[in-house]
Amino acid sequence: MKKTVLLVLVSLCFIVSFSAAAEEVTIDFWHAMGGHNLEVVNTLVEEFNNSQDQVEVKAQYTGSYNDTLTKTQSAVQTGTAPNIIQIYEIGTQMMLDSGIIMPIEDLGKEVAGDNSFDWDKFLVPVSNYYTIDGKLNSMPFNSSTPILYYDRDAFEEAGLDPNRPPQTFAELKEYARKLTIKNDDGTVERYGFTLGIVGWFVEQMVANQDATLVNNDNGRSARATASNLNEEAAVRFVKLWKEMVDEGIMLNPGRGWDGANQAFASGRAAMLIESTSSVAGFTENAKVAGFELGTGFLPRPASANRGGVIIGGASLWTIADHPEEELKATWEFLKWLSEEEQQVYWFENTGYFPVTKAAVEREMNNKFFAKNPNYLTAFLQLLLSKKAVSTQGALIGTFPEVRQIVEKAVEKTLEGNMTPQAAMDEAAERVNKSLKEYNQLYK
Amino acid sequence: MQKLNYRSHSLVPYLLLSPTFIVLLLFLYWPSINSVYLSLYKQAPFGRNKIFVGIQNYVNLFQDPAYLNNLLRSTFFVIFTISIGLIFSLLLAVILNQNLKGIKFYRVIFFIPYAISSTVAGSLWVFLLNPVAGQVNYLLDLAFNIQVNWLTNSFFAFLAIIIATVWKNMGFNIIFFLAGLQAIPDSVYESAKIDGAGAITIFKDITIPLLSPTTFYLIIMNIIFSVFESFGIVDIMTQGGPADSTNIVIYKLYREMFINFRPGIAAAQSVILLALVIIVTIFHFKYGTNNVHYQ
Amino acid sequence: MFDLNRGSYSIYKKIALHLVLIIISFIVLMPIIFGISVSLQPRAQIFSYPPSFLPDRLHFDNYIKAWNLVSLDKILVNSILASFVVMLGKLGLGVLSGYAFSHFEFKNKKFLFFAVLFTLMLPMQVRVVPLFEFISRVGLGNSFSGLVLPFLASATTTFLMRQHFLTIPKSIMESAQIDGCGPFRFLFQILLPLSGANLAGLAVVNFLVMWNAYLWPLIIINDDQKKLAQQGVKMLFASSSERDWGIIMAGTIMVVIPTLIVFLLAQKFFVKGIATQGIKE
Repeated sequence: MKKTVLLVLVSLCFIVSFSAAAEEVTIDFWHAMGGHNLEVVNTLVEEFNNSQDQVEVKAQYTGSYNDTLTKTQSAVQTGTAPNIIQIYEIGTQMMLDSGIIMPIEDLGKEVAGDNSFDWDKFLVPVSNYYTIDGKLNSMPFNSSTPILYYDRDAFEEAGLDPNRPPQTFAELKEYARKLTIKNDDGTVERYGFTLGIVGWFVEQMVANQDATLVNNDNGRSARATASNLNEEAAVRFVKLWKEMVDEGIMLNPGRGWDGANQAFASGRAAMLIESTSSVAGFTENAKVAGFELGTGFLPRPASANRGGVIIGGASLWTIADHPEEELKATWEFLKWLSEEEQQVYWFENTGYFPVTKAAVEREMNNKFFAKNPNYLTAFLQLLLSKKAVSTQGALIGTFPEVRQIVEKAVEKTLEGNMTPQAAMDEAAERVNKSLKEYNQLYK
Repeated sequence: MQKLNYRSHSLVPYLLLSPTFIVLLLFLYWPSINSVYLSLYKQAPFGRNKIFVGIQNYVNLFQDPAYLNNLLRSTFFVIFTISIGLIFSLLLAVILNQNLKGIKFYRVIFFIPYAISSTVAGSLWVFLLNPVAGQVNYLLDLAFNIQVNWLTNSFFAFLAIIIATVWKNMGFNIIFFLAGLQAIPDSVYESAKIDGAGAITIFKDITIPLLSPTTFYLIIMNIIFSVFESFGIVDIMTQGGPADSTNIVIYKLYREMFINFRPGIAAAQSVILLALVIIVTIFHFKYGTNNVHYQ
Repeated sequence: MFDLNRGSYSIYKKIALHLVLIIISFIVLMPIIFGISVSLQPRAQIFSYPPSFLPDRLHFDNYIKAWNLVSLDKILVNSILASFVVMLGKLGLGVLSGYAFSHFEFKNKKFLFFAVLFTLMLPMQVRVVPLFEFISRVGLGNSFSGLVLPFLASATTTFLMRQHFLTIPKSIMESAQIDGCGPFRFLFQILLPLSGANLAGLAVVNFLVMWNAYLWPLIIINDDQKKLAQQGVKMLFASSSERDWGIIMAGTIMVVIPTLIVFLLAQKFFVKGIATQGIKE
């Protein structure tokens, strides 16, 4: 008797669980959010899975942005690609050309038939980047821009107003000169300014002067065919860079971010340009090191047009080759991620911008920015950026290579082998060649 | 070479080799042939659009002065890392072969760098070599009042990459030098000592010749390591900079494959590398074996 | 100057040797000491000037955080399993083929030997995509077999075993053959016992091949439950520039410890004098 009851119970369990499983659609989500952000992504995904019983999202960390792209490429070739992948902003053109994606606006409107979704909910500077041919192609996810960080105490010591960070190239130089402390033996105790050799900064400085990186409206009205790297905007910045390093008021810490961060965090450089996603880290750091952290907009030449910053980071792309119910499930998840609640959680825990207007308004009302003025700087700089192709960001199929080319040109000028103009001429030529080769593949 | 052998068992060697060759055929030769084939194409990311270009990828490489420079630079890199690495490891191995209390502990210490991943090893060196906030310059400043631009000066960056690579691979060399040293019977040393040979003579006339099969092996392994495995450290420390001064062939290949997503040109580079290393290896086998003493 | 032979020393020589070793150890260990020190500090204290060489106080939070963030327990078990299988495979296959190349004459021997050796010169980066396509086609994608099979053969082992077997005196083989010892008995009962140190060294090195592999596991494994050590370490790296080096270093150290244990165990076989005994027998 007991056995029969048990049997019935067990089979009931099976039926129940089986029918539940049959309804649930599983979708794969590959992302590159490591460290503390891994936890944040996992929490969000778990919450989504618990919030309903139709869709089960399986999130998987797949290494750096480049690792994720590599893994996706081999998966695509064997038909095992996931439903959603996170791709860095400079991979946008490559994804558009990949032939494997479905623009998110098509996914929402046509596949899912969702008419209630408000496509204007995104912050314009963010959605502008990922809107191509009038369509939002991917879901903005983790977004950041560069800002100027500085040591407020050092400003006061040097007789500078800590509430007024440098705004022009000339001021940056002048401030750096005042902030630099030289020892008697000629060594530098503290540099005024430091900047890692990262191509991203050059792109941002070009946009900040309302200039474009490549022709055809930054590659947005047609495929880019020529680089503007050897024009005034980029050359002027590289020239400033060289002059400041040569004068010994700016530290050249080499490629990448780590060297510059280390110099700033240990107090051996008074100003630094870095990503807004580091606000929390630098604030904490300053507290321990015993100084107050200040933030400011990126400087630009006094004579240049006012441009602004370009959104950086990454977005979520949908892969088209999946059954319809999976595509619909994908949309459900992406839509959920863009809701106010999730956006606020994301922002407060990762430091990446929320990407919707509602989330920003809520943070304004909560006085979050009053409590965290450094985040306010980041937001204002983004929101005050001019709406133009310059700040929309360039679309380049070989963007990762372009960055490498720019970094090499900067190094050549800093080492003194070439003048800024000559180095940027050479860089522009290399970029043109790279563009030509890429475009040949898509004729 | 060995003349005596099991002649009567003519099938035995094939039996012994078959498991290895099954694995190699399926998982190494086959995919590699595929990459030779790929080197004749220009391919868009995600495998979309594939254009047959014949030997154009090779022609482009050999016409690019930057690539030729890169080959030359890599040759220097290989020569320096191998000679510095092997000499340093041999001397250390001799010390670590001493009968001393706690010697096992020291051996572990010199093994650690080999056990950590290149990514982390590279990052640690970046922090240590920071021009203003790193330990190395701090100590140099205290001791000699100098500051070195380790990663932003072409010469020093190249040196830094060599140091980090030697440091990282030392463990491998020490393990096999130690194994080789252990195989030298004490009796050989004892009779030499009775003959009145000094420490240096013993090292030169006994240790080095008796270690030669190991050294022969390590030279080839080090060539292969320094040619094919050193991109991890370069990627973290300098990304090939400043101005290409640390851009070595395998790092260029790595970038083309995984950052620029141009598998065709990456495959062409690997075919060129394969050819070059094969030539060096055959040369080494032909002329290097004369100095190898098997007992 | 110390003796190059391993006799006994006077106390002064011992102290001198220790001093030399300590100084070299410090230089070699500088990055490691820095790494350990970083792992014991909260994030905001890692960078300071003058740079610190040792942590001010011990702070083990990073270890706990790293352990939990990537479920290191599971990852370490996976890695130990995979690395052991690969190590055994490489040793087994390598010893057999090394023996074939050292003690047998056969057609195309040279060619076949180079055919093994050249596999070291086919970089994984270039063959990873075709390899993955092949593994997926035979249905081994996202599986343990798919993960380890391509790593089982080893040119490193084949080559070293050949080198080592060639050094074993001919007299041993002659007497074995006279005694009617067959080729397999000769390998297992005579050659291998004479190869302790080399086998132990190869065991360590081969263990590390899988332990430090990143690219192949990244491509083939699609399941958090099956991830390996280096993927775990990579998970600790944030995608942005702002990285928590304390946690990264804590994770690295925990991932390195098992390899040090393997090395310590292997050192037991680094013993002197087996070769001499072998000759006497």
